[in-house]
Amino acid sequence: MLSVSGLTLAYGAEPVLEGVDLAVPAARIVSLIGPSGSGKTSILRAVTGLHRPAAGRISLAIPPAEVGFLFQDDALLPWRTARQNVALGLRIRGVAKAEALAEAALWLSRLGLAGLDERFPRELSGGQRKRVSIAQVLALKPRLLLMDEPFASLDAIVRARITQDLLDWVEKEHLTVLLVTHDLEEALSISDHVYLLSGGPRARIRESYPVPIPRPRDVVAARTHPAFAPLLGRVWRDLSAEVSLRRLEAAE
Amino acid sequence: MTLLRLDRRWLRRSVALVIAIGVWEGLSRAGVLDPFYMPPPSDVARVFVSLFAEGAIWRHLEATFAAALAGLLLGLVAGVILGFAAALLPVVAELLEPVMMLLNAVPRVILAPLFVIWLGIDLGSKVALALVLVAVLFFFAVYGGIREVDQRLVERVRTLGGGRWVLLREVYVPSVTAWVMGSLKVAVGFAFTGAVVGEFVASTRGLGYLLQFAQSTYNAALTLALILLVMGFVLALFSLSERLERRLLRWRYR
Repeated sequence: MLSVSGLTLAYGAEPVLEGVDLAVPAARIVSLIGPSGSGKTSILRAVTGLHRPAAGRISLAIPPAEVGFLFQDDALLPWRTARQNVALGLRIRGVAKAEALAEAALWLSRLGLAGLDERFPRELSGGQRKRVSIAQVLALKPRLLLMDEPFASLDAIVRARITQDLLDWVEKEHLTVLLVTHDLEEALSISDHVYLLSGGPRARIRESYPVPIPRPRDVVAARTHPAFAPLLGRVWRDLSAEVSLRRLEAAE
Repeated sequence: MTLLRLDRRWLRRSVALVIAIGVWEGLSRAGVLDPFYMPPPSDVARVFVSLFAEGAIWRHLEATFAAALAGLLLGLVAGVILGFAAALLPVVAELLEPVMMLLNAVPRVILAPLFVIWLGIDLGSKVALALVLVAVLFFFAVYGGIREVDQRLVERVRTLGGGRWVLLREVYVPSVTAWVMGSLKVAVGFAFTGAVVGEFVASTRGLGYLLQFAQSTYNAALTLALILLVMGFVLALFSLSERLERRLLRWRYR
């Protein structure tokens, strides 16, 4: 579905990441983890065209319109109601206003926000705003979902609930996901494959790990699977080693 | 509970005002304050009532309001257009920014005599002064507003497939509206300043003209009555602007 080869991204003269190769097969969930500043978010931004690569190729098997981007921040329009925010993408794609609003109401209801259609973002809780963001993206029926630490700001219970709801939908609709996260447990509990980026600048893919936990998954129960703890230990050791190495290099 | 607290605050303020007026009246009547310089509130009130009872005030009010409102409206339009142009076209910003900075830095009422020379002593020179005062304010509100638009919203709309027009309609215009509405209350005061100062410099009618007349005849009661009148009208327009702001920015206040 998505293939990245030899990707180099730079802010200014020095590349943040260099020669990155990764593949996201159709209907699979792939996570990107790595130290802060390794350019994880930049990869997602490059896939959506928000950041122009200095070198390398990004190949998508689908039209760009079928790529959905779930941001770390809710970034909802504060002057639009929840329903209008969800309808925005549909309106941009040419759907008639009444139809777009009806569709938006349906999505809000699907995501457990029935009755909150006419509320403005500031009248919603963090979890509700996140659900509106998800509805806004899913309403466009993306086949590839790019997620940039979308649940980082939520408390543990709300986070687990929303992640599970989203995971159920992704599995039901056979969506492809590329997730950027700092949370190793989250990455392993929902992904089929995890890539570890080395520290920046000039970050590269350091390691990749298949996750042998069957689907469909429960995000909490997945953590009790026999394969989970050993894999988490391995990823944790590799990430710690990477962070230590970068600290050593910085000190020198 | 909040309503009760608010009511008490208003009660305290009203009582303080009544006491201040009472003290002022008492000091004037006792001869502590010279009524020539500081006439008692009852005299000011009498002049105030007679201004309306005799009907002489209406043509002056009409002139000041016409100049202030025309200046406000034209200044809003000019400031918004120039602000958008400067934010979207770097060459316009390059030319306009120093001019606007200069106009913002100096007390713009110094332009009043020049406008009288150019446009005469009728309405035009007062509207021009109010317009300049207001336009500079709105220029910076729009120019700054566009440059400080939340880039996360811009990126969000872009990833949803929105182009320039969608960005303008969904992000830039609403964002700038918030900035413009935030400046509206200040602009109302500026528009009245422009109108009254313009009339003060040279005119045949208007509240500024009446103030000039009251000053030249050493009529302190009329001066105070006119000051109160201008304050009253500006406060009323302030309140209207606030209502308009709350209506247009209901997403912020609801």
